[in-house]
Amino acid sequence: MSTYKPIVEKRVDNALTNDFLRKATRRATDRLRHNKYNAADELGDWEKWRLAGDTIRSHVIANLDYYLKQLITQVEKNGGHVHLAQTPSEAVDIVSKIARDHGAKTIIKSKSMVSEEIHLNKVLEKDGISVVETDLGEYILQVAGEVPSHIIVPAMHKTRQQVAEIFEPLAGHPLSSDTPTLTKFVRQQMRQKFLQGDIGITGCNFAVAETGSITMVTNEGNGRMVSTLPRVQITLMGMERIVPSFRELSVLLNLLGRSATGQRLSSYTTILTPPKQSTDADGPEEFHLVILDHNRSEILGDPTFRQSLKCIRCGACFNVCPVYRQIGGHAYGSVYAGPIGSVITPLLENDWEKWGHLPYFSSLCGACTEACPVRIPLHDLLVKLRARKTMTGHTPQIEKRIFQAYRYMFTHEKTLRQALRLGARFQFPFVQHDRIVSGPPPLSNWTKSKTLPKVASKSFMYLWAEAKHKGTIPTPNSKE
Amino acid sequence: MTNTNDFISLLASKLGRSTPQSAPEPAAFDVPSFQVSSQERVRTFLDNWQALGGKGAIVKSPDEAIQCLQEWFGDLSFAQTTNQGTIVSWNLLPAFAESAFTTLNWPLARYSQAAPSPQDRHQLAAQAELGVTGADWGVALSGTIVTSSNPQRGRAVSLLPPRHLTVMETSKIRNTIAEILSEVSALENPPAALEFITGPSRTSDIEMDLSIGVHGPIEVYVLLIDDSEDTASNSSD
Repeated sequence: MSTYKPIVEKRVDNALTNDFLRKATRRATDRLRHNKYNAADELGDWEKWRLAGDTIRSHVIANLDYYLKQLITQVEKNGGHVHLAQTPSEAVDIVSKIARDHGAKTIIKSKSMVSEEIHLNKVLEKDGISVVETDLGEYILQVAGEVPSHIIVPAMHKTRQQVAEIFEPLAGHPLSSDTPTLTKFVRQQMRQKFLQGDIGITGCNFAVAETGSITMVTNEGNGRMVSTLPRVQITLMGMERIVPSFRELSVLLNLLGRSATGQRLSSYTTILTPPKQSTDADGPEEFHLVILDHNRSEILGDPTFRQSLKCIRCGACFNVCPVYRQIGGHAYGSVYAGPIGSVITPLLENDWEKWGHLPYFSSLCGACTEACPVRIPLHDLLVKLRARKTMTGHTPQIEKRIFQAYRYMFTHEKTLRQALRLGARFQFPFVQHDRIVSGPPPLSNWTKSKTLPKVASKSFMYLWAEAKHKGTIPTPNSKE
Repeated sequence: MTNTNDFISLLASKLGRSTPQSAPEPAAFDVPSFQVSSQERVRTFLDNWQALGGKGAIVKSPDEAIQCLQEWFGDLSFAQTTNQGTIVSWNLLPAFAESAFTTLNWPLARYSQAAPSPQDRHQLAAQAELGVTGADWGVALSGTIVTSSNPQRGRAVSLLPPRHLTVMETSKIRNTIAEILSEVSALENPPAALEFITGPSRTSDIEMDLSIGVHGPIEVYVLLIDDSEDTASNSSD
């Protein structure tokens, strides 16, 4: 913890002092959340839909071996190639080998969280391949050299002026910062790149085991470009992103569009069963599906956290989280931010030192659990992760000491009494209006932002003993 | 790269059992249904399509179709152009549309026949002003048109030009995507691409400000051909 603590604190401080970021985060989350409420209400009985989503995803996770095998068999039967990667570096190697085999110079990419998870772009670029993020938000970040701050609107922390400045060197002339101008500029920039891409890389919202299909949801149409124009398509997916058949798919598509952006259906929902038929006029001739484990199998084997694999990556939990609302995505430091990111990152990365802070990025209010369209009990899992962290001995020294002292005091009545008496007598320098408002460390960590009730002059223990002596202790049956 | 059997056995061991040989009993779930009368369905489809910024009209005769096309695209003066690639389309469109384009003398470049190489076809579609397609289904609840790929069509026709026109019979409109996916399930094989298109290309990536046409079509149109039974019987009178 000690090596990462300053980094974590710095990230949070940066977020808390960035007024635009905080305003932008509130704007994005408010908008998405309200859109979602409207879209969910309109369907009628949203709880029934959530229950169906939960049932379907739980069923898949409980039978993941069967459905994954079925998916692999079907994709291969359709003429696609399946690659299984145990680790991120295996996945990266698979993709870079395919790129090398085809002598690819340009790769066009639509949004894929798995590609962020395995840090794919850096490696491909080292191989001399130009990798183009085609989602507008991802493209802004790629040119700026940054990482996403929200799973659905990745560049929401950028002002329009910043976006214009980011693009000006590419344009070679000053750009007006109004949205239509910037959008038009990107449309022109991107056209040639789309037409020249040797390989298209896509993410996968849901793979359909029965047919070997993959489903991709975008609003801009870049997912369609990437899966229509290049000769070779590579799709990256986490191994849990499966539905059994089209019957279940329709339920999840309804839940996804409405939960993510409040749309009845995202603008482009594409169900691909690649490769193209030999006589089709367009579409990829060659299709590679890369399926990533990266400790998902460990999560599957852990009955407590298995449920986190139900996630459909809609981001609804981000938009209701009071912590995310204050600090935005970068403060988490992880690829997956928000409540679901706080749950899965320590498990996927299997690193408490580096990611053990995340389960504490929560007020445990439960809004995330309520928002989740597949009913993952997120706040409950966050509490259990804190427990897991403590049990594995990754608690900071100071916390250990405090709890040791707490245990000592509450098992030694005399010492406790004495401490309370001393506290009551010597607390006066720290008390204002009957509250403790400052104090020496470690108390100051608390009093920097909050107050404490002062130590009572007559402790409960004292009052209790006194009442017992006077015989005025009310009994449970006494009517007062 | 891990061997498939090892990968699957690992999962089975994590689940604490061996992988079942036959399909598990499907998950039982129940969601509220959305169903409206066929007339209301067409209206709902059109309302939803227009609410997202699409233009749309219901026509009952080829004359009405011509009128509509002229109103929408007349200013682009397709008839005067010598460039054969200004309008790109599927090989075959609904008969109403074919005759309307012929009458208007707006030449259609057929995407899949226009050039031998896919790259040239992409260029053609990228330079066109208008892409014209049919559709296999419409979804009333979301205002969506659905197209499946086949060799006589082209996916880029509805994607690369700045304008996309869909010509579709009203009888193809269904209530929900669930109905359509159940029809697709009944096919022997799903098409290589099944595209659900709901309005123009949109993004809110810059300051949550809605912006149209960053990659896909900027303007989308749907021409609905009324082939409901009462119209059919009227026209046969």
